[in-house]
Amino acid sequence: MRSQRVARRYAKALMMTAEELRLLDAIAADVETIGTVVRNSRELRLFLNSPVVSILRKRTALHELFGTRITSATLSFLDLLVKKQREPLLPEILEQFAVLRDTQLGIVDAHVTTAVDLTPQQLRALQAELEQQTGKHVRLNIAADPSIRGGLVIRIGDTVLDASLTHQLERLRERFARGASLPH
Amino acid sequence: MAEVRPEEVSAILRKQLAGFEKESDIYDVGTVLQVGDGVARVYGLTKALMSELIEFPHGVFGMVLNLEEDNVGCILFGEASKIREGDTVKRTGRVASLPVGEQMLGRVINALGLPTDGRGPIHSDSYLPIERKALGVIQRQPVKEPLQTGIKAVDGMIPIGRGQRELIIGDRQTGKTAVALDTIINQRYTHTPEAKERGIKPVYCIYVAIGQKSSTVAQVVDKLQEEGAMAYTAVIAATATDPAPMQYIAPYAGATLGEYFRDNGRHALVVYDDLTKQAQAYRQVSLLLRRPPGREAYPGDVFYLHSRLLERASKLNEELGGGSLTAFPIIETQASDVSAYIPTNVISITDGQIYLEPGMFNAGIRPAINVGISVSRVGGSAQIKAMRKVAGRLRLELAQYADLEAFAKFGSDLDKATLQQLRRGSRLTELLKQGQYVPMPVEKQVVSIFSGTSGFLDEIPLEHVQRYEHELLEVMELKHASILKEIAEKRDLSDELTASLKQVLTDFTASFKASVKA
Repeated sequence: MRSQRVARRYAKALMMTAEELRLLDAIAADVETIGTVVRNSRELRLFLNSPVVSILRKRTALHELFGTRITSATLSFLDLLVKKQREPLLPEILEQFAVLRDTQLGIVDAHVTTAVDLTPQQLRALQAELEQQTGKHVRLNIAADPSIRGGLVIRIGDTVLDASLTHQLERLRERFARGASLPH
Repeated sequence: MAEVRPEEVSAILRKQLAGFEKESDIYDVGTVLQVGDGVARVYGLTKALMSELIEFPHGVFGMVLNLEEDNVGCILFGEASKIREGDTVKRTGRVASLPVGEQMLGRVINALGLPTDGRGPIHSDSYLPIERKALGVIQRQPVKEPLQTGIKAVDGMIPIGRGQRELIIGDRQTGKTAVALDTIINQRYTHTPEAKERGIKPVYCIYVAIGQKSSTVAQVVDKLQEEGAMAYTAVIAATATDPAPMQYIAPYAGATLGEYFRDNGRHALVVYDDLTKQAQAYRQVSLLLRRPPGREAYPGDVFYLHSRLLERASKLNEELGGGSLTAFPIIETQASDVSAYIPTNVISITDGQIYLEPGMFNAGIRPAINVGISVSRVGGSAQIKAMRKVAGRLRLELAQYADLEAFAKFGSDLDKATLQQLRRGSRLTELLKQGQYVPMPVEKQVVSIFSGTSGFLDEIPLEHVQRYEHELLEVMELKHASILKEIAEKRDLSDELTASLKQVLTDFTASFKASVKA
C-alpha cells in the first residue's frame, strides 16, 4: 500500500518533467519500452530488487540497457531512482505513469464481462454507448464468464453497472424471501 | 387449518414478479486488502461516506470508520472468518441504522436490531440511524419530572429527573447493575392505570448489555421477566462473544431506540451496562485501524465517544411533545480509582453520579451508596414536594454522622449532642438499607424517611430498625391507606397531613417499644 503511494509521487514527478520539456509522447514511449523490458526479464527485476548489487553497478547496467533507446530525461529519471534506492518500485512507477497518462488523455478502462463473446459490431456499439455515457475515451477489456448466465457487467473504476442475469435472479430471490416473511 | 392452494402461492409470486422487469443496477465496489480482528481494509470504494454501511460477502456488513488516501478502514458486524483477501464489497449508500418501534419491547436484540432471543423475527418498518446528532438547546427544556428509582437513598438524597444522565460508578461486585435493575423494575408502576390517573406518564426501559457474559444477560432478562418488567423493556445485548465493533455501537443503538420513544412524546430510560467495556472495545478497534493511542492507550476521541452518546439524553420542550430520554451509564472502576481516564471523563459529562463503595457493601450497607460523594446536579426540582420536605435534612445528618463516626471510635466520653447525632445517624443508615428487587413506592419512602428524620427511630434499638420500618409500612397500608394515597396524589405534605402522620407515628412507636421490651 505504502509503495503505491510512493510510486504515484515518482510517476507524477516524471509526468510533470515531461510536460515541462514538452516531451510527453517521447517519454510515454520510453515508459512503454522500459515497461516491456521489465515485464519480460525476470533477471532484470531480480537485479533491481537486490539490495546486494551496488548503486554504481545498477546505474551502469541501466545505462547500458537503455542508454541508446530512451531520451536523456528518462535516463536521468532512472538515475534518480537508483540514487534514492527506489529502483525496486520501477514496475509500479511505470504502472502509475500509465494511469496518469490515461487520466490526462481522458481514457478510462472499462472491464466488461459477458456470458457469450460479442460480435465486433456489438463491441463497437458498446464502446460508442459507453463513450457517450462517460464523455471519455473508453478502452474496452473484455472477458467472458459463462457464470453470469446472460447480460453483461461493466466496471469503470469503482463503479459497476450490473445487468447480468445472475444478479437479477439474485434480486428476485431476495424479493421473494422478503415477501414471504411479511406478516399475514 | 385450511390447505394452501397452489394457485394462491403462484398468484402471490406472480404479483411479486410483476414490476420486476429487466433492469440494471449501478453500485460502487472495492476489494478487500486485509481482514482480521473485526476490521477490514478495503481498496477502492472511492466514493464511500463516513459511517456508511458496506456489504461484504456472506451477508456480513461493515461500517466505514476510516477514509484514507488509498484505502478505507471498516469495522465488521459479523463473522470475519469467511471473508477473504480479494473479495469484492459493495457500497449500500445507507448509514448504519436500527429498526425501531414498540415491537422491540419484551425482546432481546443485538446492536443491529436482529433478535437473539429465538422468538422469531421482528417486523418493523421504521429505521433510524444509529449515530444521530444530539438535539440542540432550542429543542430542550429543564429536567423537572422525577424518575423514581424506588431506592430510598437515591430518591431521598440523589433525586433523578426524566431526561437526566446519572452515572452509576463503583468497583466490580458493588451492586451497580442492581441499582439500574431496581429502577427498571420500579417503572412497572408508571404503566398502571393508577399512575395514569395521577398524571405519571409511563417510562419505557432499554437495557444495553456491553461486553458481559451471556449468562449474566440471561439472568437479567429472567429477572426482568419474573418481575413483569419485560413488558416495557427492550434488551440490547452485545456480549463478550460478540465482535468488538458490535460492543462499540451497542450503546448508540440503545440511544436510538430510546430516542424513538422520546420523539413520540413518551419517556424512556436507557441503561448502558457498562461504558468501560465499550471504551475498551472502541480502543481495540481504533488500535487495529492504526489510530494513534493516547492516555491508557485510548484513542484521542474517547471523550467524544461518550459525550456524544450521553448528550443524546434529553427532555424535549412542549412543542416537540415533552418526551424524555434518561440515561444511566455505568462505569466500573479498578480498586475504587475514580481518577482513571474513562471514569473522570464520564463523571464530567454526566449530571451527577451514584458512587458505590466496596467497603460499605462488605459492611452490609446495601445499596452501598456513598452519600457524601454521590450527587445529582438536577436536585430538588426532580423530587416531589413531600419528599423534599422530609428528606431535606437527611443528607446533612448522614454527612455529620460519617464525620463523627470515625472520631467517636476513639473517645468514650462524648457530650449529649454528639451522642444524639451518632444515634440519629446510625438509625438513618440502617433505615436506608434496602433489599434487591424490592423498590419502594415514593409515598412509602416519604413515611419511612419521615419517621427517621423526625426522630421517632432514636429510641428504637438499632437491630430493630428494619423490623420497625417493615411493620410501620404494614400498619400504614392496613389502617392508614388514606394518608399514603393522599401523599401519592397531592405529592405534598400539607400541615394537616403532617400532623396526622405524626399522630400515627407516635402511636405506632409507643406500641412498637412495648413489643421490643416484652
